[in-house]
Amino acid sequence: MSSTPAGVAGRGDRRIEIEGLTKRFGSLVAVEDLSFTVEPGRVTGFLGPNGAGKTTTLRMLLGLVRPTAGRSTIGGKPYHELSQPLGVVGAGLENSSFHPGRSARNHLRWVAATHGIAATRVEEVLELVGLEKDAGRRVGGYSQGMRQRLGLATAMLDDPDVVILDEPANGLDPQGIAWLRSLVRNLAAEGRTVLISSHVLSEVQQSVDDVVVIARGRLVHKGSLTSLGGAAGVEVVASDPAALRAALIAAGLTLTDGPGDRLRVATADVAAVGDVAHAAGVALRYLAPAATDLEQTFFRLVAEGERRR
Amino acid sequence: MTRTIRAEFIKLATTRMWWGMLLGLVALVALNVVPSALFAGQNFGAGIPASPGLDEVAGLTAVYGAGYQSGYLVMLVLGAIIGAADLRHRTATQTFLATPSRGRVIVAKMVVALVAGLLYGAVSQVTTVLVAWPVVLARGAELRLGDSEVLRSLLLAIPGIALWGVIGVALGVLLRNQIAAILVSILYVFVGDPLIAGGLSLADVDGAVPYTPNNVSAAVVGAFTGFDLLTWWAGLLMLLAYGVLIALLGWAIGRRRDIA
Repeated sequence: MSSTPAGVAGRGDRRIEIEGLTKRFGSLVAVEDLSFTVEPGRVTGFLGPNGAGKTTTLRMLLGLVRPTAGRSTIGGKPYHELSQPLGVVGAGLENSSFHPGRSARNHLRWVAATHGIAATRVEEVLELVGLEKDAGRRVGGYSQGMRQRLGLATAMLDDPDVVILDEPANGLDPQGIAWLRSLVRNLAAEGRTVLISSHVLSEVQQSVDDVVVIARGRLVHKGSLTSLGGAAGVEVVASDPAALRAALIAAGLTLTDGPGDRLRVATADVAAVGDVAHAAGVALRYLAPAATDLEQTFFRLVAEGERRR
Repeated sequence: MTRTIRAEFIKLATTRMWWGMLLGLVALVALNVVPSALFAGQNFGAGIPASPGLDEVAGLTAVYGAGYQSGYLVMLVLGAIIGAADLRHRTATQTFLATPSRGRVIVAKMVVALVAGLLYGAVSQVTTVLVAWPVVLARGAELRLGDSEVLRSLLLAIPGIALWGVIGVALGVLLRNQIAAILVSILYVFVGDPLIAGGLSLADVDGAVPYTPNNVSAAVVGAFTGFDLLTWWAGLLMLLAYGVLIALLGWAIGRRRDIA
């Protein structure tokens, strides 16, 4: 994975390092010899189908599940050696819950008490996730999306350098997902290390810089998002395909054949393709961004990973 | 450590469970003390000897101690609920993310149960006096709250009740399942302990009989049980020892367990 972008101030530059992590439950191998690092100042997507071992990996990283082999550190230390862990790592995990009879504010209050965090900070994180109006209500009446927001508020409570979110988009509506995307981008821009897991690439595709893909507990791919392939493209259909080809090549663009009678242009700039066609006097019948093949690559990687076992 | 204790205290104080249990405690104590005050010293015939009357100190301490077992049973159940609550409501993840040391969390819960137990114990004793008052006076007897034996028995019940909260937490930690911990608590006090004491007595190991938790508790308030009992302070220490031993066992078994 590439290094931290220049210009991002290090918030302690805490890197997540996972080395040879393995977990067996009896004869079932949940995670096997998994190694990867997560860099500060970037958002890393931790991807894989349900049951691939993502949550088990995160729980080992956070000291909740004892690994069969291997080790993991955050900023060079295993989780249990952090003296004020919530100030280093904020985590929202799946299958973690809240007492249904306790209000969101009181939930945050008890977590705050473990680290001597001021009551004003509780109100700040409630506002950050947009729960300030519902904070006095008991969590038992919350929707899945509100629980996700409360989980996020809990993770942010002690202003951590590292943020780990397990399937944070589950239960959020499209607006919520857009909000989450910008929040996560901001956290990375502030220099934090951000790791978000998902079983759906498209859910996190627009927010991640790097990806770690696992299947059946094993690493199948790690690298930047673009390393998954799926370069940007524009698909176009012209009344006179030969004239359009010539014009686009003259404009220095690379062409391939798209599906059907479409021509695929290797650029993200839809308007530029339209301008070239217009200048050449070619009428267009179709002009649109090409469907990205990231998702296809992701499925192929996962399928290959699952076949290996 | 004080932060973890504070957090566990906030957890207890921010659901409705604590005052539901407190209401239950008041009701159970009243239901035991009032009939005891009504029937103390009355002869029902059929060869049943009369209990000591309200004119005797022994009679009054029996009335004031009538709600004691209910009091410590409620506290045992409350402790068990506290001890197993994180697993029941899946708050264990958040608890151990904030405080990775499992031993520290267990100790904090025990401290909280002890402090809450002193409050519950005090409420139990105030309830006892308030409900006994009209009955005792109506039967033409005196409360004799100034009597040193009466007062000592009334006051020692407070730590006696509180320490069962510590045992409850330990039981909840050991059994991990809240419902199971509650059932074991109730069955032990009403069935298990009397059976064990009776069995020990039948097997001629009478020396062990005063050490069963119910008998240790009786020793704390100087209740009459038919057995020779420990001194009150040895009783309190034994209750604490039971709590600590069960908690150590729960910690040793559970400390390497995965939180999933």
